[in-house]
Amino acid sequence: MHNRNLAPMTVEEVLDWLEEGRVSPAEAFALFRTIGERAEIVSSQAKESQEKLNDVLAELDGLIGLKEVKQLVREIQAFVEIQKRRTEERLVTEPLVLHTIFRGNPGTGKTTVARILGRMFRHMGVLPRGHLVEVERADLVGEYIGHTAQKTREQIRKALGGILFIDEAYSLARGGEKDFGKEAIDTLVKAMEDHKQEFILILAGYTDEMNFFLQSNPGLRSRFPIHIDFPDYNAQELLAIAELMLEQRQYRLSDGARRRLALLIQKGLRSNSYTFGNARTVRNWIELAIRRQAVRLVQKSGEMTRQDLMYIEAEDFGEGL
Amino acid sequence: MKACMIIGKANVGKTLFAINFAGYLGVPRLEIEFTTPGGEIYRRTLTQREAVEELTSPAPHHTLGLQAFDIQMPGLKGRKHFAVLDTSGLTDGIPEEPLVRRAMAQTLAQVRQAAVILHLIDASSVTKQGAVEAVGQVDWQVAQFGGMRTGYAILANKMDLPEAASGLLQIRREFPGHVIFPVSALLKTGFAEVKQFVWRHL
Repeated sequence: MHNRNLAPMTVEEVLDWLEEGRVSPAEAFALFRTIGERAEIVSSQAKESQEKLNDVLAELDGLIGLKEVKQLVREIQAFVEIQKRRTEERLVTEPLVLHTIFRGNPGTGKTTVARILGRMFRHMGVLPRGHLVEVERADLVGEYIGHTAQKTREQIRKALGGILFIDEAYSLARGGEKDFGKEAIDTLVKAMEDHKQEFILILAGYTDEMNFFLQSNPGLRSRFPIHIDFPDYNAQELLAIAELMLEQRQYRLSDGARRRLALLIQKGLRSNSYTFGNARTVRNWIELAIRRQAVRLVQKSGEMTRQDLMYIEAEDFGEGL
Repeated sequence: MKACMIIGKANVGKTLFAINFAGYLGVPRLEIEFTTPGGEIYRRTLTQREAVEELTSPAPHHTLGLQAFDIQMPGLKGRKHFAVLDTSGLTDGIPEEPLVRRAMAQTLAQVRQAAVILHLIDASSVTKQGAVEAVGQVDWQVAQFGGMRTGYAILANKMDLPEAASGLLQIRREFPGHVIFPVSALLKTGFAEVKQFVWRHL
């Protein structure tokens, strides 16, 4: 390399040096990166990506609850960032294997966090597209020999550049050795080798079922270095989620409606968690209440105020939904 | 006009890729703007066959200067007008010939503005010690530069050759974190994925 003290200071000087034979093209590219750093050459793009990444992380922080999930996502983000920096410095890096297991009940934020991860990896340059392809057993498993591999490969193809999210993934091992689900698992494992770093696979499902699924498929388990547990929301968090959903739709809860909803949530939490779908159930309640409010208002005689249009009353939640 | 720049070492198949990719994008006759290392600009219209015969060669540094192929790419939401910019081959060391050095400076001058950079690597010669087209220092530096921006992808070319399969694996190992498309400029394979990538970044 040339004498650093006399190194060209601008991109134009680098081009002159290259033309004069004082630096090689490789050295010229290296100088491009150091001169004016990212400012002159690529900063606007890098800055844009960083801003978008900050937006995604802010969205993650804005999710109610999920404290440990957020912390883990931050850890993954930091790990990926450092591996990228180490690669730039030609240091030995850890393999960037980001296939993940999501364990938790329905409605605990698994799909939402998967979407956020996709966008986060896209803005970090890990995935070119960062989109989410959400599938379940029926989308992967076929009806005759060879059909399953074909269906699974098609979903993998759609997910290249992004995330393949398999909900209730444990159901792939449902039928035992002779079931076509095993063929889907084998095809997924092969794709994880053939398309390394071209997509990320997320297997999601109930905690117990996923644990059993991974124990019975040790080869699969070792390919998923990241495990994220999604705990059930508590009553306070579910009420906050409901109020956020309503706020986004420009609705509000009356005091009576809030009390009724809180009772419904407590009742739901006391019931079997397999049937109570956490935030998803709360969203369904909210949507039903919005429809009932509309019927109530249409049937109401007299003037309809802005307040009337905005407020959900206790009766809109019905007696027990 | 936005540019999709083809960059890489000498003899990795940049010009053949540019011609066949332009053809794949639906250009029947190629409108090409040539910029010589001296800065002279002239335009020509060639068929794909004529372009392959005149512009490609097995000898390195056949392309000196810039060759911009005018493209109108149709998509779901209208057309995109851009140039596929074929460039002079890069070398690991300092070339002796001043004209070659000037042509390389021209390439580097364009790289800053390009919306898309397609970095061609000869997958069949990755490990060929001493071969002009083998992966070298300049590929590392281009990849590091590309990694700092969006719209950068590595094209593992010559996948039609038997040595290319193991070469592709090695490229994936040695350039982790980059978008890599296996292609054959000769057989026009892998072009659909490259087209999607280019469309997204223009």
